[in-house]
Amino acid sequence: MRKRYVEAPGRTDEASGLRFFRKSEAVDLFFVGYGLLIVVLVAVSYAAGVFRLLPHDPEAVNLDLMLAPPGTAGHLLGTDFMGRDLLARLILGIQAYFLPGLLAIAVATVPGLALGVLAGYGAGRADRVITWFSNLVDSFPRLVLILLVIAAFKPDIYFIMVVVGLTNVPATVSLVKVKIRFLREKNFIEAAEGLGLPRRTIVLKHILWHHCRASLIIRATLGMGEAILMETSLSYLGFGVQEPTPSWGNMVQSGANYFLQGNFWPSTVPALAILLAILGFHLLGDGLNNLLERKAVY
Amino acid sequence: MSLKGVKPVARVLAREVAVTALLLLGVSVVVFCILYLAPGDPFSLLLEGQMSAGAPGQDVREAMGAPNAWHARYLSWLAGMLRGNFGASIRTGLPVLEEISRVGLNTLLLTLGSMAVTLLVAVPIALYAAVRGVNRVSFPLTMAAYVVSSLPVFWFGYVVIYLFLHTFGLFPLAFGGSQGTNRLYLLLPIVVLGLGNGTLSEVIRHLREEMGRVLSEDYVRTARAKGASVWKHAFKEGFLIPVTEIVASKIPFILGGAVIVEQVFNWPGMGRMAWQAAQDRDFPVIMGIAVLAAVFVRAGNLLQRFVYIAVNPGASRETIGRRVA
Amino acid sequence: MKRVSVVILFVFGMTAAASVWAADSRKDGRPNGGTVNYGEYGRPATLDPVTSNEMVSLRITELVFNGLVGINEKQEIVPELAERWDVSKDRRTYVFFLRKDVIWHVLPGEAPKPFTADDVVFTYNVMMHPKTITPLKVRYEFIESVEKADDHTVRFTIKRPILNALAKFTFKILPKHGPANPAYLTREDPFVRRPIGTGPYKLASVSGDGEITLAANDAYFKGRPHLDTIVAKPFADQNIMTQALMFNAIDMIALVNPRYLPEIQGDKRFVLQPYNALSYSFFGYNLRNPFLSDRRVRKAFTYALNRQEMLDSFFNGQGTIISGPFAPGSWAYNLDVAPLPFDPPAAAALLKEAGFSPGPDGFLQKAGKKLALTLKVPIEKESEAVKRVVLAFRNYLKNVGVDIKVEFEEWQAWKGDVFFEHDFDIFFATWVFDDSADISSLFLTAEIGPWKNNFGGYSNPEVDSLLMEGKLTLDHEKRRTLNRKLHAVLAEETPYTFLWTLTNYTAYHRKIRHVAIHPYKFFSYADEWFIEP
Repeated sequence: MRKRYVEAPGRTDEASGLRFFRKSEAVDLFFVGYGLLIVVLVAVSYAAGVFRLLPHDPEAVNLDLMLAPPGTAGHLLGTDFMGRDLLARLILGIQAYFLPGLLAIAVATVPGLALGVLAGYGAGRADRVITWFSNLVDSFPRLVLILLVIAAFKPDIYFIMVVVGLTNVPATVSLVKVKIRFLREKNFIEAAEGLGLPRRTIVLKHILWHHCRASLIIRATLGMGEAILMETSLSYLGFGVQEPTPSWGNMVQSGANYFLQGNFWPSTVPALAILLAILGFHLLGDGLNNLLERKAVY
Repeated sequence: MSLKGVKPVARVLAREVAVTALLLLGVSVVVFCILYLAPGDPFSLLLEGQMSAGAPGQDVREAMGAPNAWHARYLSWLAGMLRGNFGASIRTGLPVLEEISRVGLNTLLLTLGSMAVTLLVAVPIALYAAVRGVNRVSFPLTMAAYVVSSLPVFWFGYVVIYLFLHTFGLFPLAFGGSQGTNRLYLLLPIVVLGLGNGTLSEVIRHLREEMGRVLSEDYVRTARAKGASVWKHAFKEGFLIPVTEIVASKIPFILGGAVIVEQVFNWPGMGRMAWQAAQDRDFPVIMGIAVLAAVFVRAGNLLQRFVYIAVNPGASRETIGRRVA
Repeated sequence: MKRVSVVILFVFGMTAAASVWAADSRKDGRPNGGTVNYGEYGRPATLDPVTSNEMVSLRITELVFNGLVGINEKQEIVPELAERWDVSKDRRTYVFFLRKDVIWHVLPGEAPKPFTADDVVFTYNVMMHPKTITPLKVRYEFIESVEKADDHTVRFTIKRPILNALAKFTFKILPKHGPANPAYLTREDPFVRRPIGTGPYKLASVSGDGEITLAANDAYFKGRPHLDTIVAKPFADQNIMTQALMFNAIDMIALVNPRYLPEIQGDKRFVLQPYNALSYSFFGYNLRNPFLSDRRVRKAFTYALNRQEMLDSFFNGQGTIISGPFAPGSWAYNLDVAPLPFDPPAAAALLKEAGFSPGPDGFLQKAGKKLALTLKVPIEKESEAVKRVVLAFRNYLKNVGVDIKVEFEEWQAWKGDVFFEHDFDIFFATWVFDDSADISSLFLTAEIGPWKNNFGGYSNPEVDSLLMEGKLTLDHEKRRTLNRKLHAVLAEETPYTFLWTLTNYTAYHRKIRHVAIHPYKFFSYADEWFIEP
């Protein structure tokens, strides 16, 4: 998020007036619980795939039962355009997001941290140059840039996620930079340097670990949501994860072809799944934000 | 340290413009690099296109004496672009600039319209939440915004079209109808993109926080104590700046969403053309669109900076380095 | 005196009226007027008959241009730009006598230009010029030379006598004064976007969103067509296009997606008209793969597929399963050869006979190598139906123990893999024929090589000799017999698993009457259509 004013603890609550979260930490914990649920689901997805625990075979084509609404013949969520069970494909589809999403987040975070530290710590010239590069990267709409990359290379989903991650680097950079500036203002860094702490410790342990990790985790959750949406958009356009591998994006896309004729469910079930997932990530991010930020070391 | 006679505001503005120009140059380098790294030889096609768009019927390869070094090629392409020659589309042979400016205007209309819709929805909610805090009204609204932001926009588009078709019995497309362009239906994709571009919740959150913060600033409290109009004092910093800021930063998202919405609603815009070009490997077109999209984004940013400086002449004394990415 | 002048005036008036009436009416008693809006999936890149290679462009050029001869609904050759012709005894010289009353479409502010032999010569030269990028060259390579005898006579000399040569002279004629470049035609030439022809409709305008408006040509030599305008509207989404028809936003769809057939069939406002396509879909095998070079394996695959089920489930049963390399509408199709039935046990038996046995993971294997093959499919615009067929194929083959890996590739990459690198095992595609029965380029040994059509590497001396004989014979009956034999042989050999020919349907509003559709070019008879007032 682009903020010109550094967020300090305590001010968040008063300023935004969102006294709700102060009312009960239970809600925050609920949101965090949601996040744990996601971890569990991912694990389930992989386990189910490996140990074949799925209710139906996600690849079992059944031409007699195509586009069936939920509840038909033992298919809890219905079937898709080939008669394959939606629930099984939904569970398996989680895998399509997990690794690529992690990749995107990793690519966004690692260079972002490095550059952010350089910019914040170095200040002056390094700061200006890095800011310029950040603005440069931000100048592209993500999807248009990806279309350009698709035209040039013939990328698979991992390559695309690397590009998505790169476009998220400026956000990480700004996050770290702002934190460092804040710490500088509070003379924290000066004090640490005065105490004789080696620079590497200051950067790694104090700045990054203690102060940035909360924001980074929050950024990561938002990034996951973005990666999901990006894959969905790409699937609609025909790029993205291809059949027969299930991904929620390509499930919505193939279902959409039958939507206007009245077959809602093949498209709506995965769309709702996407909705719940992204919503979950947003809320998780918010919950963590309030829990962790307020407990920052001051 | 520099020109003393020029007003500081003008100096800062000029600097902003210069930085923007530099950024656009950087954009062209990035776009060029991506193409350069691509397997195959898309270059001859691109440069040939630029030549023939100027001189039809000539034997291009011979006339060109194709420069081989990458920097020479880049400069040649850039020079062409600055003269307005973006090359010719591989698919149709038409000059690219002409094609994309036509569709670019359509996309601009869609983008600005959806931005307006997003703001129309977000501002009241944000204001309410900032002033009254969280209560029975603002919480559900904010949650609803979260939900809407998480929808895949094309699914949302299909749902809307379905509703129109089957519940209202209307064919809701402005383009492609035999009755000519029915102006009212132009609103539909704008509304869908405005709600479904995924930025609604962030916009609300940002506005609410900024407004809330400003409302609790000392000078506002003073105004309130004095009985003066809070709104007048808070407006510039609490409203105008955050709004222009969020608008400028969300343009890339909305342009991305436009690619999808244009497909669903058959809107003849830049996004649809970009998708077609990505499929056909029509490099001149996709590069031109990438550059044009970046121009839109930077123009939005520049406008936002102008507003900021106009509102805060004191900012003219700050260095550009303060601008947060 | 007065009476005489009145009579003279009367006669004069009648003659004038008669001539006016004769000039712009087709004397068939049908009314002029009206507009037909039709929906197209996708937009044409170019609008001329030489550089374009899409069906969308083809339909438009059919309205705007004419050829020397035409083909009527009964598949007979009829005069078009040529009013009669002479064929020499050795069948190598064709002399066409051109109509003298044909005028090129008139641009505003310009004088009308007549059609002459110069235009025919120009067209041939441009088509065959090495710098013109067109798929047509290979079709007309049999022509050796063309020369203008006089302003309305053209003489073609061909390299060798071929069967039904006259039918090949349907290629569209371009105006000499049309293209900017007098030697060759490329996509940069403004002519490809602003075509000028002699046909029943001329280009009126192209709107910003790609709508192409064609207006009736009052001076058309066959008489002004009835419809005032025809408008082509591009759509990016097939679902939306169908809904546009249902809501009267458009009046016609050239090719209806089979999914929507039941809905349109039930609607009394529309006519659903089938037209025979000379095309068929198939799975092609790369015989370079040792597994696939064994005919038993290929045949087993065909037994393993339930083609009827696929046709019923995905295409509403609207099509015919084929057993050989011709479309069922073609005169060459051998009705005595029946398609192989759906018989998984037979498939399993054949595979066993070929030396395969079940491996540890349930899939068949031979000498330690798993029977795993890669199926490459191009990502096309409307790939919903293709996706379904391909996934069903995978499923059927899995049931007999064959592991198929599906790879979707974008079009250019797919073309490169299949036609150039030959890096594939199986692929799915559809051949569209404009001529009914020349399949020599598909199965001749000589046609194996980069960018040639025998990409599977199929080579069989018997088939080669049958094909060559067919190419050289001038006897139609003999050719028919040869083709029937070819059909039987290829059905047994299975270089492809032949799937089906889909019945094409066009849907249009009832108010459009006397609609005859050409199976390939669609609008050939559009000058006869009219709108019920």
